[in-house]
Amino acid sequence: MGAKTPRVADVVNADATLIGRKAWSDPGIYELEKRGIFGKSWLFLAHETQIPNPGDFVQAFMCETPILVARGREGGIHANVNSCVHRGLPVCRADHGNAKSFVCPYHSWNYSVEGELQSIPQERYVEQKTDKSKLSLKAVPRVETWHGMIFGSFDPEIESLEQYLGDQRWYLDAFFERFESGIEFVGSPQRWILNANWKLPMENQLGDVNHGPFLHAAVIPPEANAEVFDYGHSCVSEPGHGATFRLMPEDAPLESVAWGFEGMASLLSPEIHEYLRELQMKAEERVGPLRARMKGLTYGVYPNLSFLWSNTAFKVSHPRGPGKVEYWSWSVVPADAPDEFKRILRGNHTAFFGPGGLLEQEDSEAWTQQYLGSAIDFADDRPYFYGLGVGEEKPHADLPGLVSVTANEFYARNFFLRWRDALMAVEEE
Amino acid sequence: MSDAFQPGLELQHEIEQWYYREARLLDGREYQKWLALCAPEIRYIVPGRGNPLVDNAERGTEAMISVERELEGRDGDRLPIRDETLPYLMVRVERAFKPNSWAENPPARTRRLVGNVEITGTDGETCSVVSAFHLHWTRPGSGSFLYAGQRRDVLTRAESGAVGDLRLVRREVVLDLSDIEYPTLGLFF
Repeated sequence: MGAKTPRVADVVNADATLIGRKAWSDPGIYELEKRGIFGKSWLFLAHETQIPNPGDFVQAFMCETPILVARGREGGIHANVNSCVHRGLPVCRADHGNAKSFVCPYHSWNYSVEGELQSIPQERYVEQKTDKSKLSLKAVPRVETWHGMIFGSFDPEIESLEQYLGDQRWYLDAFFERFESGIEFVGSPQRWILNANWKLPMENQLGDVNHGPFLHAAVIPPEANAEVFDYGHSCVSEPGHGATFRLMPEDAPLESVAWGFEGMASLLSPEIHEYLRELQMKAEERVGPLRARMKGLTYGVYPNLSFLWSNTAFKVSHPRGPGKVEYWSWSVVPADAPDEFKRILRGNHTAFFGPGGLLEQEDSEAWTQQYLGSAIDFADDRPYFYGLGVGEEKPHADLPGLVSVTANEFYARNFFLRWRDALMAVEEE
Repeated sequence: MSDAFQPGLELQHEIEQWYYREARLLDGREYQKWLALCAPEIRYIVPGRGNPLVDNAERGTEAMISVERELEGRDGDRLPIRDETLPYLMVRVERAFKPNSWAENPPARTRRLVGNVEITGTDGETCSVVSAFHLHWTRPGSGSFLYAGQRRDVLTRAESGAVGDLRLVRREVVLDLSDIEYPTLGLFF
């Protein structure tokens, strides 16, 4: 017989300064996460630039559930569970493409890209006529977009996506609004599997930029770290979301603010520097004087979407059980950048992040080792200490939410307070 | 025999010897010496390996199932696993010699076999070579993994002009992977 799943209130204490090891490793807790979090949140699926034309589709996941995201014939966006209503096989195996319909391999049941059942080939050999209108693919009940970012939710009653993002939009806009023609997602995401719990990659980008000078000391230059200590801000617009950035001084030279590539500056060509400089010159007009001085680091959107400003990547941490995660990482570039710059910016993502990334390999190592530590026995009376900087976060005159230095772990405490509430709400069901 | 390029025995021998030496340097963690084999203008690309929809127009042809259509980010569009120039490779080499490179401490133990060395063409002092490799990787506490793939290289003769003194100008590493469960794809393949 397996160990009994502990009470959620015993796993995370009331102010989330202590996070028990079972929060990361217990299968029963993971089942609560599926219902209490992944069944009730807005989850990121894809970006509209990945599916510009009718029939275009990409694969996505909502927790472990495979989703097909397609552009319908009328131009709308449709998200359906990729599982035939006849015997449950996926109706599409490719990870992207343009389709006229989706066909199940088993008996060739045929669905429109919108998810409606169009034909049952063996139907003609029986007399009974099946009502196909009741046999569509399972549609994701809520699908909404913001800045081309497509989200889905399994909760029909959930608040609107804009309300859900709340003031986090103000921080995201500091990036999105910089580019006149918006941004585009470059092809398919990199995706790879780690023996880690899904929450740690999320926490890592949510506000934990302070691991940089330690875990990544071999790669990140000391001056970049110093800037994080001197100008770093950590903001929580509401529990579960987070944004970190450097707010550069008003008299900082333009090139020191430009977009936040400082660490890799020596690796980029003079032409790219000039391009970034020009973007920065327009920033004040586009996002206002305060946000023009923001040099982003990492963001998190509850529960499992991350944004890595400095290397322009969006990431999603897809759970695959308590001890396994499938991590997806999309490269993002300004839509109107010259092709050569897109290629270089893309390289600035892949060289440092993703399965071959210089920085990410250290992160992957930390995340997998944290899982090992979370799964050991006889140490449950040593929950993880999340108490750095308790109560030091304060409201700010200009920045939404609570604000503090990046060493304050309030971003993680807030995430786990929301996590705790979400799990306790379904614990008795 | 066909229209396949027929290199002279001496060139074939020279190229194979170069690969054996390169493999010994990489598996021996002599990364500085390996870096010296790279031309300043090197492009080091590891394309992504996608799973695109079958193109009905290509049905029944070899193009329908070609490896090429699975490769992503070799050029400007879509996303590769890696696309690097010499400075990036230098950062990777530098990193390998720091004890706080935690993914390499302790360092991985690798052994690679490079085979099927086929010279597909020459142009003056430049040679295109396709080869296959199996790379065994293990590291204390991290298990062991087998990487398999194809290298598509462009080699050029160094300024010395000496036999065996070649430089790597371009390497494209086609990894035979699907679901990526490797601890890292940040190796020198």
